[in-house]
Amino acid sequence: MTSEYIKPIPIIQTWTEQFWKAAKEHKLLIQVCEDCQTRIFYPKKVCPECWSSNLTWEEASGKGKVYSFSVMQDMVEPKFWADIPYVLAMVDLEEGIRLMTRIVACDPEAVEIDMEVEVVFEDITKDCALPFFKPAA
Amino acid sequence: MGEGLAIIGIGEVPTAIMPERSRWDILYEICLQAVRNAGIDKNDIEGVITVAPQAQPRLSAEISFGKLPEELGLKGCRDVCICNAGGASTSNCIRMAEQWIESGLARIVLIPHVTVHSSIPLEDLINFFATAGIDLQWEYPFGTTYNGILAMMTRRYMYETGTTEEEMASVVVALRKWATLDPNSFFYGKEVPTIEKVLSSGMVSSPLHKRECNILADGGGALVVTSRKLAAQITSTPVYKLGESARFFSAFTMTRDNDVVGEGFRDATHEALDQAGLSKKEIDIWNIYLAYPVGHPMLMESIGLCEKGQAGKFFREGHTWPGGSLPWSTIGDAIGRGHTGSGVSMATYVETARQLMGQAGQRQVKEAQYVFQNTSGGSGMNFIATVWGREIP
Ligand SMILES: [Zn+2]
Repeated sequence: MTSEYIKPIPIIQTWTEQFWKAAKEHKLLIQVCEDCQTRIFYPKKVCPECWSSNLTWEEASGKGKVYSFSVMQDMVEPKFWADIPYVLAMVDLEEGIRLMTRIVACDPEAVEIDMEVEVVFEDITKDCALPFFKPAA
Repeated sequence: MGEGLAIIGIGEVPTAIMPERSRWDILYEICLQAVRNAGIDKNDIEGVITVAPQAQPRLSAEISFGKLPEELGLKGCRDVCICNAGGASTSNCIRMAEQWIESGLARIVLIPHVTVHSSIPLEDLINFFATAGIDLQWEYPFGTTYNGILAMMTRRYMYETGTTEEEMASVVVALRKWATLDPNSFFYGKEVPTIEKVLSSGMVSSPLHKRECNILADGGGALVVTSRKLAAQITSTPVYKLGESARFFSAFTMTRDNDVVGEGFRDATHEALDQAGLSKKEIDIWNIYLAYPVGHPMLMESIGLCEKGQAGKFFREGHTWPGGSLPWSTIGDAIGRGHTGSGVSMATYVETARQLMGQAGQRQVKEAQYVFQNTSGGSGMNFIATVWGREIP
């Protein structure tokens, strides 16, 4: 599987390693500032609100709503051709952060703004899993 | 604002896919044109500030290290610099020129831009445009593209305002109405598509169709700028910079709300108008550079030129077309011009000056006195609003 994967793998920073380690175990983490309690996305080296380095992680419920999406059908890089059509989306988590993701496990035509979704991890290599979302059960 | 700045000369080559026309062919052509258009001697140029060409590393290096004044024999040149803020670069070149002029470093500054996409190896081109302004950790692995993120912004805008896909397509029609009259446009003289034609052009990233996305092309343009005082002595058609403001939003779309963008559009626009001492009603042309259709109705509504959800109708009714009540993007933005990397902002400034100099040919808006112009960089990271005039109000 590892040698087969031709699509881009996240370029990880030292302060985001925890996020991706957890993702590999199919857990979605949110970075939280212990000083001002801000939930931070995407994860930073210091809190973007107060510049504190007292940062920790909490596990997200994994539930959210579609903010917007696009069914990608043409003019993507050759490395993504095999995925067409795929649903690129921005999802708002219950915890109040928004992330870029894909909506999977449903007909692209069925996706709607505000649709309730939940996280589902896609193992892309033996070391990495991406948080995708599927319609909530 | 001290002495203030004015554009006194413009030069431009047609936007086209023409790999046989080299970057230096274009640089010679636009610089000679702009200096001649200003009616000055080449040795009057005391500074050269060039728009950073995207994805053209050899050219960037040559220009960064002073090849332009060398090549053109600009004997009066005191300094040289390159300036990069993506699609907002030209605005920053102008700001820097203003500072050089006010400080006395240079009295007259040349600001060129060139991009030749068609001779960039395809792999480099894809690589650059697939990842510039897109985060490699949080966006790119999911298959994010420029078309994809703008498609998501478009869908959200349509959802929030009830704008229809026909209305969105009519923005393309409006932009192409201007482009077909522009000898420097990729679409010059070409038939303007109907709404139906735009919508039948094949889905790229829903809801964006092919004709709602940009074509990469080659092009270049140049400005000659100086102080207001000197401008009035040199030329009978000075184009004065009257006001400016800006807002930064975010590097990436996932961290950007349509609401925040709308507020930024509104505030920066009003601040620039206030600085110019003008009201919206006094603006004769709105020269907008937002690259994709969605920015146009968003901006029109945000700044109160029509009510929320009404801009689509306004475009569809033809009010922004040549001859309409609200001349809007008189080169047709990147959709109408062809996308030249960091060059559409230059093309828009050249057009602003051209209109105010009365040199816009078939697109000339009669008695145009004041123009509002914006630029924007990256995936829409910021919004720079400027106001220009034939006269100082
Ligand atoms: Zn904090």
